[in-house]
Amino acid sequence: MLRLLATIRKEWLLLKRDRGGLALLFLMPVVLITVMALIEDAPFRDYQELKFDVLTVDNDHGRLARYIREGLESSGQFTLVDSLDGQPLTTEKARELVNEGDYRICIVIPRGATAAIVSNANRIVNDLSKRMGLPAMQPVKQRDDSLNVVIYFDPAAKKAFKSAIHQALDNFLTQVQTNLLLERIQLQLRRKDAGAAATDTLDIRLKAIGLQEQATGPVKQIDVIYNSVQHNVPAWSIFAMFFIVIPIAGNMIRERGDGSLLRIQLIPGSYLEVLAGKMLFYVGICIVQFYLMILVGIYLMPSLGLPPLTLGKSYLAAFVVALGIALAATAYGILIGTVFKTPNQALNFGAISVVILSAIGGIWVPLEVMPPNMQLLGHLTPMNWGLEAINDIYLRNAGIGHIWGNAGKLLALCVVMLWIAARIEKRRIS
Amino acid sequence: MMRNPVFASIHLHICISAYQHISMSLMIRVHNLHKTYRGALEPSLSGLSFSFSKGSIAGLLGPNGAGKTTTISILCGLVKTDSGHAEVFGLRQDITHRESIKRLIGIVPQQIALFPQLTAVENLEYFGHLYGMKGRPLRAKIDAYLQRFGLEKNSRKEIFKFSGGMKRRTNIIAALLHDPQLLVLDEPTAGVDVQSRSMILQFLREYNQQGVSILYTSHLLEEAQSLCSEVAVIDQGRLVLQGQPLALIQQHPECRNLEEVFLHYTGRAVRD
Repeated sequence: MLRLLATIRKEWLLLKRDRGGLALLFLMPVVLITVMALIEDAPFRDYQELKFDVLTVDNDHGRLARYIREGLESSGQFTLVDSLDGQPLTTEKARELVNEGDYRICIVIPRGATAAIVSNANRIVNDLSKRMGLPAMQPVKQRDDSLNVVIYFDPAAKKAFKSAIHQALDNFLTQVQTNLLLERIQLQLRRKDAGAAATDTLDIRLKAIGLQEQATGPVKQIDVIYNSVQHNVPAWSIFAMFFIVIPIAGNMIRERGDGSLLRIQLIPGSYLEVLAGKMLFYVGICIVQFYLMILVGIYLMPSLGLPPLTLGKSYLAAFVVALGIALAATAYGILIGTVFKTPNQALNFGAISVVILSAIGGIWVPLEVMPPNMQLLGHLTPMNWGLEAINDIYLRNAGIGHIWGNAGKLLALCVVMLWIAARIEKRRIS
Repeated sequence: MMRNPVFASIHLHICISAYQHISMSLMIRVHNLHKTYRGALEPSLSGLSFSFSKGSIAGLLGPNGAGKTTTISILCGLVKTDSGHAEVFGLRQDITHRESIKRLIGIVPQQIALFPQLTAVENLEYFGHLYGMKGRPLRAKIDAYLQRFGLEKNSRKEIFKFSGGMKRRTNIIAALLHDPQLLVLDEPTAGVDVQSRSMILQFLREYNQQGVSILYTSHLLEEAQSLCSEVAVIDQGRLVLQGQPLALIQQHPECRNLEEVFLHYTGRAVRD
């Protein structure tokens, strides 16, 4: 026990005097997660959260344009722009502005669009009335023009964005046409029976079935949106924890090179106790890093205009996952420190391998947006195991029972890496 | 008479006792050591055998690549032999006695085997703790040695700020903390100034007078001649010469000192 405690104290003294190392371990990750959360804030927001300027050219001046305007504005995502510099927008000008990328979308409502919808509704009502033996009295246009609400998109607009806009406008068109049809039917009924107006229940019947979002979580779901902070803080914390490989590997190679390891090995007693002390110290550092990043997510992010990090309800589960990540990261550092002979080799390999594994493991961008093959590969990385487990806790409010799989994989990886390191060291000595 | 099983048994017992007595009176004994490192073209040791008496200051001498460090590593249990065996105070270096031998030996490696970012006291405390020592006894021992080696004023300075001589002296102290019976020094005076060297050699003489055996390697043969009571010269993994320095010089009238005897046996060709 004395050997273990003495080693922890020695590592602490060494780290305390290494200001660069301290900055690398604690300051750089804080800067990293802050910068990454700020940079990825906009891309991470759903389109519902972002507000776009939408150019509108209203050639109709009827109910359709009003419905579209009210519908888009009520969503809170769009600001409608129908004039520039005091001049009403023309279709040509709007198209030019969108094409140049100044605006992302333009909607052109054709002349006579409302009249066409009204005429169509009247025709349906007249048809129904005739079949019911009632007089068909609604005016109908003799010639049907094929009219379209035209949309212009910025050529750089993403497919998902286009699809969302298409869907929204289609909904508005359907809504306008349905409302006008109901209005016409009600009008016809009122003409037939003056009492119908007082017992108008058609609108209510149409809304009889609604849409409701419900929780999927194993326990009471918390209201968390997967935003930039919610992704970046845990993700880059894991990345920073794995960067512990650099000080560990450097420390081990230096000790081997300057002979202090030799002296330790010449002292009676198990070297495992010394190694355990070293590992325990760095695992502790990783855990401190993790909770420091969590504090940054909770307190610093909101002060920068970002949403605060929302934690799950199982602090024990989060600690177990943090411990698993710390053990895997530390073991990886020991393995690199054992395999490589010079600090430069270890530094380059350690840093690049952590960056690659992080990219594959969904630290930079969520795994869901990667190609299927990369997703398969990503599921094999310890970074992904850690991130999945943290997301289970923070987003899905999972408890200790739900994270054992990923925590177990991290622990197993730690054991395997230490075993390989031991084999290499034994082979080197012999 | 020897056919009688009783007499045969007594004879065997006497032989074993005599062997044990001889072994116990030896500081170290290596017998027919063979060692070829993995991937090496040449063997490091090729049937090396020699022994040194307990209580002596023994010099293990040889040119570069002679096998000195390999021999020391085998004695300390760091390297396994291909064949042959090594003993320290009669204890055979194997898995059974490895830990016991470690307790008996204090090693001063050629490298400054200290943590450069730690102070002298922090380094010595750490190695003391690894030996299971703690508290006031450890602190008192560290203070005494720091004073003995003239380092008390710089004890709170980080090792990387030390001069070469100061580092060497601290390196020696780290091997003394657990009161070893055998002190093994691999070129302890390499790269140090005259004053530091004088202090180190004086200390070794005094330490030896306290009953501690000393095994010492060096390329400074004048130093070895003045310090060692016996020397073994090895080359290409074999023993080429062993004896008391003065006796060896006397046996070779054409040689004026140990260095000339050494060159006589190992040649003047430059070694890698």
